[in-house]
Amino acid sequence: MKSEPKKYSVESGDPVGMIAAQSVGEPGTQMILRSFHLAGIESTISTSGLPRIVELVDAKKRPATPITYVYLDEKIARNFDKVEELSRKINEVKMGDIAKRVLENFSKGKIKIVLDVQELESESITQKQVAAKVEKALGLDTKLDGDNGILVNAGTRNLKTIRSTSVKIMRMVVSGIEGAGKATIMQDKKNGEFYIVAAGSNIEGIIGVEGVDKSRIFTNDIFAVYRLFGVEAARNALAYELGKTLKEQKISVEDRHLRLIADAMTAGGSIKGVGRHGLSGEKHSVFARAAYEETLKHLIHAAAFGEVDIMAGVTENILVGKQIPLGTGAVRLAIKKEDLAKIKPVEK
Amino acid sequence: MQTESIDFMKFGILSPDQIKRLSVVKLTVPDTYNEDGYPIEDGLLDQRMGVIDPGLICKTCGARAKSCPGHFGRIELVRPVIHSEFSKIIYMVLQSTCRNCHRILLNDEHLKQYSAAKIDIEAVDEEEASADEAAGTKSQSSLLKRLKNIKKCERCSTAKPKLKFSAPTFFYVDDYKLKPDEIRDLLAKISDADLSMLGIDGRSSRPEWLILSTLLVPPVNVRPSITLESGERSEDDLTHKIVDIMRINLRLEQNLNAGAPQIIIDDLWELLQYHVTAYFNNETSSIPPARHRSGRALKTLAQRLKGKEGRFRYNLSGKRVNYSARTVISVDPYVNIDEVGVPLEIASKLTVPFYVTVWNLDEAKKLIMRTEYPAIMNIISKDGKRKRLIDANREELVKELHVGDILERQLANGDIALFNRQPSLHRVSIMAHRVRVFPGKTFRMNYCVTPPYNADFDGDEMNLHIPQTLEAQAEAKYLMSAQYQIFSPRDGEVIITNNEDGITGMFLLTKDDTYLTMDEATYLLGLSDIYELPKPEKNGMYKGKDIFSMLLPKDLNFETKSSYGPFKIKAGRLIEGVVTKETYGRGNNKLMIKLGKDYGFEELKKFIYLSSKMADAYVTMMGVTVGVKEYTTSAKLEEERRRLLEETFKKISDLIQDYKSRKLEPLIGYTMRESLERMIIAELNLVREKAGEVLLKHESGENSAVQMTKAGSRGSILNIEQMTMFLGQQATLSGGRIRRGYYSRRVLPHMTPGDIRPPARGFVSTCYYSGLSPTDLFMHAVGSRSSEVYKALLTARSGYLYRRLSNALQDYFIEEDFSVRDAGNNIVETIYGGDKISPISVQLAKMEEQEKK
Repeated sequence: MKSEPKKYSVESGDPVGMIAAQSVGEPGTQMILRSFHLAGIESTISTSGLPRIVELVDAKKRPATPITYVYLDEKIARNFDKVEELSRKINEVKMGDIAKRVLENFSKGKIKIVLDVQELESESITQKQVAAKVEKALGLDTKLDGDNGILVNAGTRNLKTIRSTSVKIMRMVVSGIEGAGKATIMQDKKNGEFYIVAAGSNIEGIIGVEGVDKSRIFTNDIFAVYRLFGVEAARNALAYELGKTLKEQKISVEDRHLRLIADAMTAGGSIKGVGRHGLSGEKHSVFARAAYEETLKHLIHAAAFGEVDIMAGVTENILVGKQIPLGTGAVRLAIKKEDLAKIKPVEK
Repeated sequence: MQTESIDFMKFGILSPDQIKRLSVVKLTVPDTYNEDGYPIEDGLLDQRMGVIDPGLICKTCGARAKSCPGHFGRIELVRPVIHSEFSKIIYMVLQSTCRNCHRILLNDEHLKQYSAAKIDIEAVDEEEASADEAAGTKSQSSLLKRLKNIKKCERCSTAKPKLKFSAPTFFYVDDYKLKPDEIRDLLAKISDADLSMLGIDGRSSRPEWLILSTLLVPPVNVRPSITLESGERSEDDLTHKIVDIMRINLRLEQNLNAGAPQIIIDDLWELLQYHVTAYFNNETSSIPPARHRSGRALKTLAQRLKGKEGRFRYNLSGKRVNYSARTVISVDPYVNIDEVGVPLEIASKLTVPFYVTVWNLDEAKKLIMRTEYPAIMNIISKDGKRKRLIDANREELVKELHVGDILERQLANGDIALFNRQPSLHRVSIMAHRVRVFPGKTFRMNYCVTPPYNADFDGDEMNLHIPQTLEAQAEAKYLMSAQYQIFSPRDGEVIITNNEDGITGMFLLTKDDTYLTMDEATYLLGLSDIYELPKPEKNGMYKGKDIFSMLLPKDLNFETKSSYGPFKIKAGRLIEGVVTKETYGRGNNKLMIKLGKDYGFEELKKFIYLSSKMADAYVTMMGVTVGVKEYTTSAKLEEERRRLLEETFKKISDLIQDYKSRKLEPLIGYTMRESLERMIIAELNLVREKAGEVLLKHESGENSAVQMTKAGSRGSILNIEQMTMFLGQQATLSGGRIRRGYYSRRVLPHMTPGDIRPPARGFVSTCYYSGLSPTDLFMHAVGSRSSEVYKALLTARSGYLYRRLSNALQDYFIEEDFSVRDAGNNIVETIYGGDKISPISVQLAKMEEQEKK
C-alpha cells in the first residue's frame, strides 16, 4: 500500500502505542473512583471512572453493571401502553422477585412457594403460569395451593437436593428474557419517544422481541456486542465506552489513542485484555514476558521448550542494554557489500 | 551509537556434559574459609571461581576482582535429583510417551493432524517464526489434551500406567515411587523427533537433563561474602544453601560406601532433593522454606529474579546513569521556556564531550590550556583511558593530544540537557532545555513549563541529564525541546503556557476599561523586547488591549467565543474581548493553536515567554492579592444565604412529608425510598448552584478572588462559596450522603435515629469564614477523611492500570506505510488513527480543516 505523508503526519517509527498508553494512564490519578452523583436523577447507576476503565481494558467477560438501551419501532415508540407491554416482555422477573416466602418441608420432600399477589399483578403473571413454568423447567410435580401458593414435590427427601431445588426455583426466570435484567421505560425529552433501559445485556434475546428496533439496540457489554455483531463492532464499542468513561470524568483524550487500544485488544480476532492473560502474556519475547509478571514461569517454559527470543521489542533490548527498535532507534544504516569494497581509507 | 547487535537469544537446558565443560572446579569440601581466613581449596569460595577481595588474583584467568568475570564450579551429586521447577514439564512428557516403546502415544496417522511445533534457530525469519509458533502452540495444546486421556499406546498397545504427580518432585506409578534415575532413563529414550511434536527442541532442551546429576555452582562474585564491622564473615544466602547441598551429598556418599540400609539412603536422597529444590526456589509450595539462623527465609535463585525488587524489574529494566544531577527547583520568569537554569556548582561537575578532529585540533588545544570555568576536566584517549586534567599535567597532555581523543568539558551556557520530574507519567515529563548557568543552588525554570512536569516550587526536586553523544544531543534538541511540546500528545491541546497569576494579569490588562500611562506602557513593552508604542487613545493613555496586541503577529486575524463574550483579533490587534483561560491558558486554547498552526513553534514559544513577562509585570503592578477581605460576607449576602437554605430545607421536609404520607411520586425505575434520597440530593445540589449565582450577583468586580475565578486562573465559584456561604454536602467513600456512624441509624448520638434531613446527613450549612459548628466540623472531617483514603486507593489502582497498559502497548510503532505494527510486525491498524495525523497536531489539523470550509 502506497501511503504519502501529510502535513501533520506521524513519522515512521513513532511509538504510538506507548503514547496511547500514557494518554490513558497519566490522567488515571485524576479520575474519580466513585463520584457523588449529585445531578443524576435520571441517570441509571453504572460503573464509571477508573473501575470502568479497568474493566474494559481487562476485557472482563461481563461488566459489573450491564445496561442495554432498547429503542422501539417508529410505530409504537410513542404509544406508552404498547411500550409498557413490550417492556413487560423484556423485563426479567425471577421467582425471587415475586415470591413472598419459600417453605421447605424436608420430611415430606415438598417445597411451598408463597407468591406475592401484588407483585404478580404488577408483572401481570398468573399463579397458574408460574406453576406451569416451574413444572416445565424442573420436570417436577407441581400443584396450586390456595390462591397464592405453589406446591412443588421435590420427589426426594434428600436435604441437599431439596435445598438446591428450592434455590434453583428462586433463581428461575418466570417472565421476560433471561439475562435482560430489570427493564425501565424512559422518555427521550427531545422527541418524546419512549425507550426501554434494561439492566442486563442479553441483546441476543432482546433483539428477537417483536417491535424492537434492531438497528438501534445498544449495550455497554463489549462481549455481547462481540457475540452478536463481531469483532469490528466490538472494537468500536470498546473505543466508544473508553471515550465515554473518560469524558464523564472531564478528561480529554484523543479518540485515536482509544481506538488504538481497542485495535490492539481486538487485532487477533477476539477480545483480549491487556494484562498478563492477554496482550502482555502473549508477547513473543521471553524477556518481555519475564520482565512483566510471572518471571519464573516464562523463563522455565522458555528453557524447557528451547524458545528463541528474536529481540524485536522494547523490553528485550532495554534488558540487554541495546537501543530500542522504535523512533530514531528503528533507523538502520545499510550498505551493500560491493559498495563497501569501494570505500577507500582516508589518506593521512 | 549502537555498533553491536544481538540477532536472537536461544533458551535451553544445560546438559551434564555442558556443565562439566563450563565449570573450572569440582567442589568437594562443604566449607568456606580455613582457620587463617583463607579460602579452602575445592571449597565454596575456591579462588578458581574468581575472587572478591580487591587485592587477590583469580586463579583461573589471572585478573583482579574488578575485571574477573567469575567462573562456574560444579558439584557431582552421588544420586540424581529432579529440578523441581521443571517437574510439571517432566510430568507432561511422561504422560505423553509410552513406557514400553518410548514413543509418543499416538500413531503416525493420528499425529499427522498436529503440526510439529518447530522452533528452528536457522529459520528465525521474524514473520515465519511467529506464524509457525502461533499455529504450533494452538494445535499443541489440543495434542497434549488428547495424549493425557489416551489409555494405551497406539504403537505397541502397552497399557499406559496410571502416573501420579505430587508436587513438588514426586512421581508415582500406582503406589510405587519413581526414583529420579528411573525417570531419567525413561526420558532419555525419547527421540528428538517425538519431542518436537510436544514443542520441545531436543537439541537444546533434552528432558533427561532436567534430572540433575551435576549441579552448576555460580561464581563467587554472584554470591559475595561480606565482612562485618566485627571482622566476622557473613556468607551469602546462596552459599549457605550450597553448603547444605554439599553436606547432604557427602553424607549420602559415605552412607552409600558404608552400605547403609535402603531406608537411610532413601531418606538422605529425599533430603538432598529438598535442599536442591530450596536452592532453586525457596518459595516452592508444599516445602518448608529454608531459613537463616535468625529465622529469616533464605533468598535463593528464584527470589533473586522475581518481582519488583528482583533482577529483572529492578536491575535489568531499571538502568542507572551517569552525567546527571538533581536538586530543588525554583521559578525564574526570565528563563525562557526551553531553557533551564543550572547552578554553577553543578555545571562545573557535569561534563559534555568534545570530539577532537583534524578541524578543531587547535581549538581543542586552546580549551585544554583554559584554567577558568568552562574548562576541560578529563581527556579520554583513543584506547578508552580517561586521564584527569590538572594543572600539573596540562602542558604534557596538550602535546599528547590526538585526533580521535575526546575532551570532557564542563557544562556551559547553550549546552543541551534533559530535564525530568518523577513520576514520569507521560513523555513530556522529560524535555530538552538549553542550559543557562547561574549562581545559587537550585535549578531554575520558567513557570510556564510546570504543567507538563506537574511541578510546583514547594520543594520539588528535578533531575538533569546531559546527553553524551552528538546523535543524542541532536535528537534531544530537535525532538525533545520544550518548544516542540507545547501541544500535549494526549489531546493536542495546549499544555505549556502561562498559568495562575499570569492569566489574571493578562485578564486585567485586556479588560475594556484598562488604560495605561506611557510610563507603564513602555515598562511592560520593554520587558517583552518591544521597543515601539501602539497608537495612544485620545486622553493620551494607552489601551491595555493594544499593549497586549503588540505581542501578536501583525497579520493575525482571529475570532473565537469565550464565556466572556466574543474575542476578536483583526490585523494583529485585539479589538474585542478579554483574555481569559480559554484564550491564554491550558486546554483547547484556540488562539495559541492558531498561532502554532500559522506561525510555528518558534513564534509560539516567543509569544508565551514574552507575554508571560508582560502579564507577570502587570499583576505585580496591580497588586492582586487574596485576603480575608475577599471572603468577608456582607449582611445582605448572609441574609441571602439564610433564605436559600431555609427554602431548600423547607422543600426537603415537604418531600419527606410526602414520602411519609405515601404521596411522593417515585422516579421511574426506583423505589420510593431511593427516589426520596435522589430527590433530596438533587435539591442540595441545586442550592449549591443557586448559591454560586447569588454570590456572583453580590460580589463587586473588585473582589480579586472573583476576578481570578472569572479569568479562570485559579479557583472556582464553589471555592468562594465554601468560604463565604456554606460548605455543602459532605460525601462518603460509597458516594452517597453520610449514612451512619457508630450509632444505629444516625451519625452522632444526639441526633434522632432515622433523621434524614440535610444537617443530620452531612450537609454543612456553615462556612469557613464564619467557622463550623461542632456537628458540621465532624461531618467535614468525615468527608475529608473519605477523600484522603480514596486518593490513596486511587493512586495504587491507576498506577497498576498504567503499568499494564504501557506493557501491552509499548511495542506498537508506525511502519513506513503508516500502519501500526507490533514487535512481530503484525498489523494492528492499517492507517494510524485513520488519518495518519500525529496526536500532537490533531488540534492544528482540526483548525485547518475548519478554516478550509
